[in-house]
Amino acid sequence: MQTRERPVPNGVILDIVGDLTYANRELFKSAVEAVRQKGYRHLILNMPEVRFVDSSGLGLLAIVSQNFKLTQGRVSLLKPQSYVREIMTLANIPKLIPVYDNEQDAVAAYQMAA
Amino acid sequence: MPSSSAQSDASSGSTAGATPSTVLVVDDEPVSRASMAARLKRLGYRVLQAGEGKTGLELLRRERPELTILDWMMPEMDGPSFCELVRQDSAIQSSQILMMTGHDRPEEIAEGLARGADDFLSKAASGQEITARVQAGLRTAMLIRRLEHATDEIRRKQDVLEQELQSAAQYVKSLLPPAGMLLPGLELAHAYRPSLALGGDLFNVLRWDNDQIGLYLLDASGHGVAPALRSAGLSTFLRGGGLRHQPGSRDPGGILTEANKQFPLTEEGTYFTIIFARFDLKARTLSFASAGHSGAFLHHSSGGVTWLKNSSLPLGFCVPNIYETIHLPVPLSPGDRLYLFSDGVYEVPAPSGEMWGQERFAQTVLESGELPMADVIARTVERAAQWLGHDQFPDDVALMGIELTA
Repeated sequence: MQTRERPVPNGVILDIVGDLTYANRELFKSAVEAVRQKGYRHLILNMPEVRFVDSSGLGLLAIVSQNFKLTQGRVSLLKPQSYVREIMTLANIPKLIPVYDNEQDAVAAYQMAA
Repeated sequence: MPSSSAQSDASSGSTAGATPSTVLVVDDEPVSRASMAARLKRLGYRVLQAGEGKTGLELLRRERPELTILDWMMPEMDGPSFCELVRQDSAIQSSQILMMTGHDRPEEIAEGLARGADDFLSKAASGQEITARVQAGLRTAMLIRRLEHATDEIRRKQDVLEQELQSAAQYVKSLLPPAGMLLPGLELAHAYRPSLALGGDLFNVLRWDNDQIGLYLLDASGHGVAPALRSAGLSTFLRGGGLRHQPGSRDPGGILTEANKQFPLTEEGTYFTIIFARFDLKARTLSFASAGHSGAFLHHSSGGVTWLKNSSLPLGFCVPNIYETIHLPVPLSPGDRLYLFSDGVYEVPAPSGEMWGQERFAQTVLESGELPMADVIARTVERAAQWLGHDQFPDDVALMGIELTA
């Protein structure tokens, strides 16, 4: 898995390339922690290059979302592939984390909420 | 004349208090052998001597010298044959062998190395070169011994760990209910195959009284020791006294609502999915609640199927959260079978990568409906293994069925 940070107004986009799975959990956690350390309140996980999310990956999304909410922050998901979206829907992830189909909407939604 | 005698000379080490390294000299030529032994003793090594290969091998097995200096040309067993025997013997195959030869032809050196020697020493070598090659051989021998000791230690610790894992696995299996009659008119069968020694899937039946049972199947995310311990903890909670004192403790939704408070997500993001059902034998009614678990259906004796599905979050994803109890509208009939299962039984990839899938899994169960339930379960797991191409499932496999027999 590879990640790249891109600052946006009031937050950061984390581009993720690779699978969000048990095997990649430490890489994902480190990348998210690095973002938190920098004080970003809105984390947008950009997922078009994520082909698969396993049960561990779903748990990581849930705990990251919970941790951001504890500090009045927010996590959003951007452009998941249809198969990944299906997996996340089965686990009801969209009930916890908003999913957007374009970057402008994801960025604007937090600005409106803030 | 080759000497068949073996001599063991211990000389004092070059460093006071340190155990000197041992060098075995195998040479049929007495003068050459004595000369080499004397030189080595002057350098502070303990020296063993053998006048032919057979005795040399015996000394090598018994004394395990750090280095063997071996003559190529010997009657009966020459140096390369000696090396081959050493490399075939697991007790001494890592021995360091320095082969002495009167020639230094490249093809001869290549043959010696190919047959098991580690290094070469010309019989015409200077004292300085002999010392340097012996020291190099001993350095290698020390590194190999350290590696062997470390490997032995790792193996020993691994054995202890595996024994402990086996004990823990036995404990987890002891939590599973025995197959057979649950109550008069109600039979249980199941299959359980953890992907590692310890599994994170668990299921059980709670006999609340003569008419009511609770049954559940839970799946902890991840594999191995930590999920297995967490599963055992949740299983204990579901079985134990905590529920009895909760209002509505026999209500599946109430039970999962309480479990959701008690078992939050861990910092690693691990969690449970679970389905909890209640069956009333007298009224023959079934109700259930699910926390992110989609693996359960009722196979009616008439041939129909009712899936037990309810869109819900896994335990710990949102606290607090209310889990709803769903009541099946039609009572069960004799011959109806309820199957609870984990995703490990159908998320099974073929060698091509194609998943077996929930549909093929359900079809296998349904088409075997005429068989006894235990055979249906065994056959279904066997079919999954056939799809996989082997029987080492990538995820834990749990499949439990109860049948209303009368």
